[in-house]
Amino acid sequence: MELKFTEEQEMFRESVREFCQRKITPVALEMEKTREISIEIKKGMAELGLLGCTASPEYGGSGLDAVSAGVIGEELARADPTGSIPVFYLVQAAWGFVLNKYGTEEAKEEVFPKVIAGEYFLGIATTESDAGSDVGGTRTMIKKEGDGYIVNGEKMYISGVREAAEGGGGHLTIAKQNPELGTRGMTMFYLPLTADGITPTYIDDLGREGISCGGFAIDNVRIPKYYIIGEENKGFYIVHEGYEFARGLIAVICAAAGLKSLENGMNYIKERKCFGTAIGKFEEINFRLAEHYTRLNMLRDLAYKSLWTIDREQQGKGSRFETSKAIAMAKMFASDWACNAINDVMQWQGAFGYSKECPDQAAWRAIRSFALAEGSKEMMKMIVARELLGKEFIAYK
Amino acid sequence: MRFIVCVKEVPESIDVKIDLKTNKLQEEGISTTLNPFDQFILEEALKLKKDEDEIIAISVGTPQTKMVLMKCLALGADKAILLSDNVFMGSDSFATAYTLSKVINKIGDFNIIFCGQQTVDGNTAQVGPELAAQLKIPQVTYVESVDKFEGQKLVVKSQTDEGFKIVESQIPVLLAGIPPSSFTPSLPPLRNIIAAQNKPCIIWNFEDLGGPKDKYGSAGSLIQIIKVYYPPPRKKGIVIVEEPTTAVEKLIELLNKDKVI
Amino acid sequence: MLGKAKELANELKQDICAVIIGSEIRKFCNVLSTFGANKIFIAEDDALKEYNTEIYTSILTRIILKHKPNILLFPATKIGRDLAPRVASTLKLGLAADCVKLVIQDGKLLMTRPVYGDNILADIICPNTRPQMATIRAKMMKKAEPKQNESAEVIKEPVNVNVDSFKTIVKEKKKTSIPGVKSIDEADIIISGGRGVGSKETFKIIEELSDVLNAAVGASRAAVEAGWKPKSCQIGQSGTTVSPKIYIACGISGTTQHLVGMKGSEVIIAINKDPEAPIFEVANYGIIGDLKEIVPLLTKALKEKKI
Repeated sequence: MELKFTEEQEMFRESVREFCQRKITPVALEMEKTREISIEIKKGMAELGLLGCTASPEYGGSGLDAVSAGVIGEELARADPTGSIPVFYLVQAAWGFVLNKYGTEEAKEEVFPKVIAGEYFLGIATTESDAGSDVGGTRTMIKKEGDGYIVNGEKMYISGVREAAEGGGGHLTIAKQNPELGTRGMTMFYLPLTADGITPTYIDDLGREGISCGGFAIDNVRIPKYYIIGEENKGFYIVHEGYEFARGLIAVICAAAGLKSLENGMNYIKERKCFGTAIGKFEEINFRLAEHYTRLNMLRDLAYKSLWTIDREQQGKGSRFETSKAIAMAKMFASDWACNAINDVMQWQGAFGYSKECPDQAAWRAIRSFALAEGSKEMMKMIVARELLGKEFIAYK
Repeated sequence: MRFIVCVKEVPESIDVKIDLKTNKLQEEGISTTLNPFDQFILEEALKLKKDEDEIIAISVGTPQTKMVLMKCLALGADKAILLSDNVFMGSDSFATAYTLSKVINKIGDFNIIFCGQQTVDGNTAQVGPELAAQLKIPQVTYVESVDKFEGQKLVVKSQTDEGFKIVESQIPVLLAGIPPSSFTPSLPPLRNIIAAQNKPCIIWNFEDLGGPKDKYGSAGSLIQIIKVYYPPPRKKGIVIVEEPTTAVEKLIELLNKDKVI
Repeated sequence: MLGKAKELANELKQDICAVIIGSEIRKFCNVLSTFGANKIFIAEDDALKEYNTEIYTSILTRIILKHKPNILLFPATKIGRDLAPRVASTLKLGLAADCVKLVIQDGKLLMTRPVYGDNILADIICPNTRPQMATIRAKMMKKAEPKQNESAEVIKEPVNVNVDSFKTIVKEKKKTSIPGVKSIDEADIIISGGRGVGSKETFKIIEELSDVLNAAVGASRAAVEAGWKPKSCQIGQSGTTVSPKIYIACGISGTTQHLVGMKGSEVIIAINKDPEAPIFEVANYGIIGDLKEIVPLLTKALKEKKI
């Protein structure tokens, strides 16, 4: 057993970390007000090759594997307490992986170069008002018509709607093609948000202010055949590969945000005095530090291991089920553990911790979202239980 | 054209500790990076490079120094050579220059040698000139930019004690570079890091260079470090927090009392 | 430098010799003898007007081989640090760079030099080769008391220069330091401004203070980058390392890169708004406050004191 990043991954880390220190950290909290990621940052990310990094080199990507993508996510999460840039990054890395694996040549040639250049946003849109982690509940419909398809429905709570609707790009979307077949009748496709018949709406999220959240009505939107991702009716299975990639990245990002917050807290409790003693000497504080630090490192290790199972699966060395379980285990507590740690760091810092000047409050609000985003923690427990006991133990079947 | 760039692995932070047991600097476990002066001059070399030109980065170090050379490759060097052998350990600037000159002679033809003016750790600024002397080629130090390179002539801007000078030099020449304040080191993008993994990074040891063993490392060094220690700590200062007028009065009072003025 | 040479020479009971190379340099002989040189080797030629590494090296190596000095000192200026290693390497001599302290120990020169910024000091000897060579931060050494009516033996060294053989030629030279204004590496007092100064115009108040103290004006990297001061004023890792008697840092937070360049100063005074600024960790005296208010008050107070 060797637990070590490759030289290449260490070099990625060095480059990204330096970029973050120069361009992201100094201005990260400004995103709370500007509510967007600046063009300069997007351009810088594109120049480094961080956007759509999982796309193959023939489309201009770097063909990164999941662990390498995690290394980058980790650095971005350490640098941006608002969580906006990590989300902006991870969605495109994870769904870029799906587009790369299952998309048609034409779709890839059309979309990837612009995603990689930072012009297009590539997102994921499965969630609807009444269907979230339970993708089977999707109501949006896709229908063959002539040599293309017609889509009708509505998506909700989607990241990056404004980015794609105004700047260009679109979302990998899932819809029912053969409702009578249930989850076996769902198809995945690329839906440009600039298409005729798309009407976006926006929602104010609790955190992650730099990236938009919203929904869009899909009214008789026509898409060409080459936008279909993978085979028809296989969407439900394909979408989970993307989710798993994203969930693994989220687990790494939660660990990184939590550990970064603990570093802030450590600097504070070493200096801050109460009754003439540094508060870091109080066990109420330093025991909690020790516990959080340990838990978050457990999380970090599990998160990287889960990404490693994805890479192994891609090399044909592991099964879908192994990956699903490893990923679900990594994501299950990711948000909770990181939020608990960050919450304590806020507490240690007293009134400052509750002020908007404190980066940790932004991190808490951002990381809180990951108990839901890309699969709720409850769903993660279900997956692990299912993998342990077998499908026959799923209560709702 | 062939350009050779000499680089060094240095600690990321110069806030290093002394191991009190061995009376040596603690080198294990500290994170290291490419000497910023070297990165600057490498980037100058890259600006001059045309497609048919070759840039070789060389470094004397430990097996870990490979990471620094990989960075050079990711930044655009074509080939890297790492000199790693216990025989090279403990070199002063003269022995380092000797080792580098042997490497360069083994490489064969070259047109320009590039060095960082100094390193952030040793800060001798001597390896460049000592290497130029051993190769018997001219040198220009404190080079801030290479402005022109045509035929066999090179025009560089270099810092002087009073300002700067524009120097025209024949090639071959050794240039030792110091970044202007506007310089921001480039960050290699992911795809270049990936491409670097397929570029040659060769490791040579003492046998590859040959020659008498006692010319290398501490045996070949002409100066000897007999002790390293922390400078005596600065006395804790007095910080005045007062209204400006009172603060200035207090300061002058203190300066008088301590006979500073 | 002669001050230090004198000290070492007295201890070893040896001569103090000075070497000057250049054109129209005979006029310096007087000063050199006043400060203690017993012998002066002079290599004079019009072709030597501009410093040229290779030519100066060949002249100096000839002088060294002929007169076989025990110790050879250079100032740690840009020229000194260009020439000394070239000479050392040509003659296969050991050389210690940028020394801050020189003493004689067991008949040998013990050279102390900072490494890793100024975080660590190293004591160095040159066990086998002679002369023992060092470039030194002249500011750190005590200046010799000038003695009038001292005279030195002036020895003319042969010069044989063929300008056509020069492999490097200086095409243009520019002083970025303004004539009449003290340069930072020779001043006993330096007033330095950083990002906190805020503008080129505000640097005026720093210049006014420097006038009163007969000091040089320095700047941090941030101030140079902002275009408020020329590069020649820059103090720090990528600028000049200084060690004056008094260093006054105004609106400089004290990045590691800056501290490296001025930590060797005897007395450091810091004026900064931010009480957390790292500059206060090295400052002997600090005022927390706005430099725009404090510096003019300080100027005024010192002016009055002089009168």
